[in-house]
This record gives sequence, C-alpha cells and structure tokens, in this order.
Amino acid sequence: MTFDEDESKKPAAQQPPAEPEPEPEGAEAEGKVQLGSDPTSDAASRKTELGENRVSWQDIVVVVRKPFLKQRRLEILPTWGITMNDNIIRHYQFNAAINYFLTDVLAIGIEGQYYIKDLREPYDLVARQARRLPTVNKYNYGAALNFHYVPIYGKFAILDEHIIHWETFFTAGVGFTQSEVIPRDPAYEPFKNFLITPNVGASMRFFVTKWLTVNAGIRDYIFVDQFEAVGRTEVRADDAKQNADSSLINNVVFQAGIAFWFPMSFDYTTFR
Amino acid sequence: MTSGASTMKRLASRAAALLLVTLVLVPQARADRKNALEGQPAVRHRLLLVKHRFELTPAFEASINADFKHILAGGLKLEFHITDMWSIGAVGFYGKDLNTGLNSRISGDLPDDVGPGDPTPTRLQWDEHLNTMPYYGAGYISITPWYGKLAAFSKFFVNFDFYFSAGVAYAKLENDCCSFDEDPAPGGDLEGGILPDNNPNNDPALNDGGKVGAYLGGGIHLFLSNWAALDLTVRDYLFQDNPSGLDFDADLAVTDDDNRFLNHLFMGVGVSFFLPAGAKRTP
Repeated sequence: MTFDEDESKKPAAQQPPAEPEPEPEGAEAEGKVQLGSDPTSDAASRKTELGENRVSWQDIVVVVRKPFLKQRRLEILPTWGITMNDNIIRHYQFNAAINYFLTDVLAIGIEGQYYIKDLREPYDLVARQARRLPTVNKYNYGAALNFHYVPIYGKFAILDEHIIHWETFFTAGVGFTQSEVIPRDPAYEPFKNFLITPNVGASMRFFVTKWLTVNAGIRDYIFVDQFEAVGRTEVRADDAKQNADSSLINNVVFQAGIAFWFPMSFDYTTFR
Repeated sequence: MTSGASTMKRLASRAAALLLVTLVLVPQARADRKNALEGQPAVRHRLLLVKHRFELTPAFEASINADFKHILAGGLKLEFHITDMWSIGAVGFYGKDLNTGLNSRISGDLPDDVGPGDPTPTRLQWDEHLNTMPYYGAGYISITPWYGKLAAFSKFFVNFDFYFSAGVAYAKLENDCCSFDEDPAPGGDLEGGILPDNNPNNDPALNDGGKVGAYLGGGIHLFLSNWAALDLTVRDYLFQDNPSGLDFDADLAVTDDDNRFLNHLFMGVGVSFFLPAGAKRTP
C-alpha cells in the first residue's frame, strides 16, 4: 500500500471490503477516553484488534506515527523578531514564551517581549527633504497570554535526501504593550502609554530532535496607540498625553527562534 | 587441584580467543553489512510535479514597506523546469501606484507656495519628484530544494514545494516631473557662469527611465491538482533608485549621485498551470 492518490480512483472491486464500525468498548464507551494513554496497549484492546471486532479502515490514519508528540509537554521558546510594516521606525523584538500543550494540537502559553528601536532612513530623509518631522512612538516591552492551535502538519524532503517534519500553528492572545513617544522637539518630555494588545499570528515549527524545534512565523500585535499631537505646545508629559492623537496600529513582527521541550523525551502513544 | 587449575586455564584461553575473534571479526562483519536503505531514494512513488514541465502563472503582487508609493501589480510568470530541482523563467508585471500613509500625510501638509530661501518643497514639487514603477520584471534561474506533503485539519492533503530564485531584474521607472520652473544647472555650472542655487526642490528628479539590477525571490507551490498550484511568493528587485527624487547626499542639488542601491520588496500570489497536464511518478 502506498496511499497514492491514484488508489482512490481504482474500481470498487479492487478496494478492500468495507469493515463494520467497531463498537466502543470499555472506558471509551463510558466517555473516559484518555488521550495520553495507549488504547491498544492493554490486553483487551489487543484482543479487539485481532478478534472478531476488527478496527475499521477509517481508524487507519495517514501518518501512522507522528515523530514528535507535544501533549503535556512544555515548550520554552526564545525568539528574535523584527517589525515588517513600519518604514519610519524598526523594532527588534526579543521574545521569550512558555507554552504548555494540553493536547497535541492545543496549547496555552505566556510570552514577554522587549523591544529595541532603530530609526530608518526615511525618518531623517523626510525631515531633511520635506521639512516635516514624523510622529513616531517606540515600543519598550509587552506581554501576552496566548492560545495556539495546530491544524496543519506535514513533511518534506530536502535535496531529495533528508526528511523533515514540520507543522503550522495559529496563535491568538491578548496582553499589553508599553509604547513611548519620541518627541519631535527634544525639549519636550516624552510620555508612555499602556496599551491593551490583542495578537494573532501564524508560525511554522520544524522538528529537529525529540526536544528541539526551530520556529518561525509572523505575529500581528494590534493596539490603539497614543501619539504626540501634531501641534503640541505642552512641555510636560502629562499635559501632552491628554491631548494625544490616537491611531490603530498593526505591529507586524517576523519571529524566529529555537524551542526547547520538557520533558526532553516522550513515550509514543497511538492517539489520532 | 592440578586438574582443576588446568581446566580453568583452558577455559580462560578459549574465552580470550573468543573475545579476540569477537573484537576483530564482528566490527568487520558490521562494516560489511550494508544498510538496506543506503542509496535508496528518500521518497518512493513520488509525483514529479514540475520536472520537464512548463509553468504558466497569472500573478498579482504588492509592494511591502515602500516609502512613498505602493505598487499593486498584475503580471505573468513563465518557467520551464529542466529537472525536478532546477528551472529557468521570467516574470513581467504592470503596476499601478498608490500613496503610502506617510506620503499622504507629507503631501497633504506641504504648502502650495513657499517664499524665497525656504528649503521646504511645495506640494507640487514633492509630488512630481516621486517616482513609480509601472513596468518591471526579471529573468532568473530557480532551485527547488524542498518538496513535501502536508495535511490540514487531518482532512486535506496537499503536495507542496519551496523554491528560491536569483537573476537579473529590470524596471522602467516614471515620474511626473516637472511642471514647475526647473533649475537649468543643478549644482551650478561654473564654466557657464551659473552659480548653484542651493535649492534641490526645483531640480529635475533624475529618477526615471530603465534600471537593471539583481533579482532574488522565493516561494511555495501548494498543488491543488497535478496540473495546478497556488503560488505564494516574495520577490525582491534590487537596483539604483531615489524614490523621493530629491537631494539624498546633502549637496543641495539633485544629481545621479543621489541614487543608491535599494530593495523593492513584493509579496505575491498566483495560480500556476503546469503543461503537459499529466505528471509522472518515480519508481
């Protein structure tokens, strides 16, 4: 059996005869299925597989043994990131996340970010060429509580030799970001903002060993930031903050990092 | 006692001989034994989705992080896959420009007229100096080092591959310059007796015309069938450019020296059609 696409196109006569759906037994019938346990490890299950009530064809999964199980494991993920959608100021993000996998596809976690700003070419160029000073905020730090869901997994071959397993996961969460105004006039006081920050993202995880993965993805941190008013005349930060201009910001960040998994190994289970 | 000692001695010498044979011969036997998978292909019964096939891709792409003018472009990619890993191809696009948020704010805030000696450009001078990128493209070679299969929601199974491209880029740049009174000698012409006016805002923009540079790209094919795939790409066209068309090197004149080697980064999506429609499979 190759699981080729062509197989599904073969005449019905060549297909194996349909098997009846097995009746749920034991703990499963009572609604006590434990994902962490191996349902085929006990004697009763082995008897079920080999006896009269054989498992149905629908119970045969395409990827029989996933090479990496995440259920009930902790992922410690330091990442480096860079903002992608701001041509005036770029932020380098240093992020640390801890995620706990409730199942093999669902995780809950926390993260903390620290930002370093880098003013880009247009910041100076606009000031010099157009005689206009851009209104810019920098980000200092942030944190979030996140949920992760893994709907896509697969494998690929590199240079027709090495097989690498990978998966794609989506993230959604909420947290906060602290931003700080960079005053157009250095004589004016800067002010800081505490911003409620939902975030969404999509990332890929490449499995290297049983305890090491390489992660890369894109995250959008969304918040309503408070900017220095265009005609600011207030020197003091508190006064300027009361007259600040608001704007919805999508801080889109590319992130890449290496994740460490604990426990560092796992016992294989045959859940789907 | 003597008989027992000689028996022990015989057993010890036989054990030593056995150990020697084990130490010498077993590693040799292990070395002679070949891994059954050695030299075998990583994937059997693999669909050759690109080898010896033409790829025709109507595509759309948009600029990322443009300073003043976003480009939304439609075009075509044509590629021939010489082997399963190497291919040659070309892309061509026609783009329409759109003001970035930054440019809208700058342009909207500039005055219609300025007094003598004011280094601020008028709105007209600013707008007409900016360039756009209506026609551009590239010729390239591509390598497809990764291919694989993915499952989404354990329901949908899709073949995919990653590819990387490098080649030569071409772009035809345009600007609207200049409907205002131009400086006849930007930077001055001492031989002609013209002193520099130290005002770059009325100089010709010098950021239009044909540009040749480098091209880098990467993308992923998500195969919807044996002959069609979703093509997601990132393309970077690198060439000499001065998007604002104003003085960059602070010599108070717009000259060719204000151009510099810049990235023009795009993200795109297309639908690739592969010809011939049938794909072969490896043994």
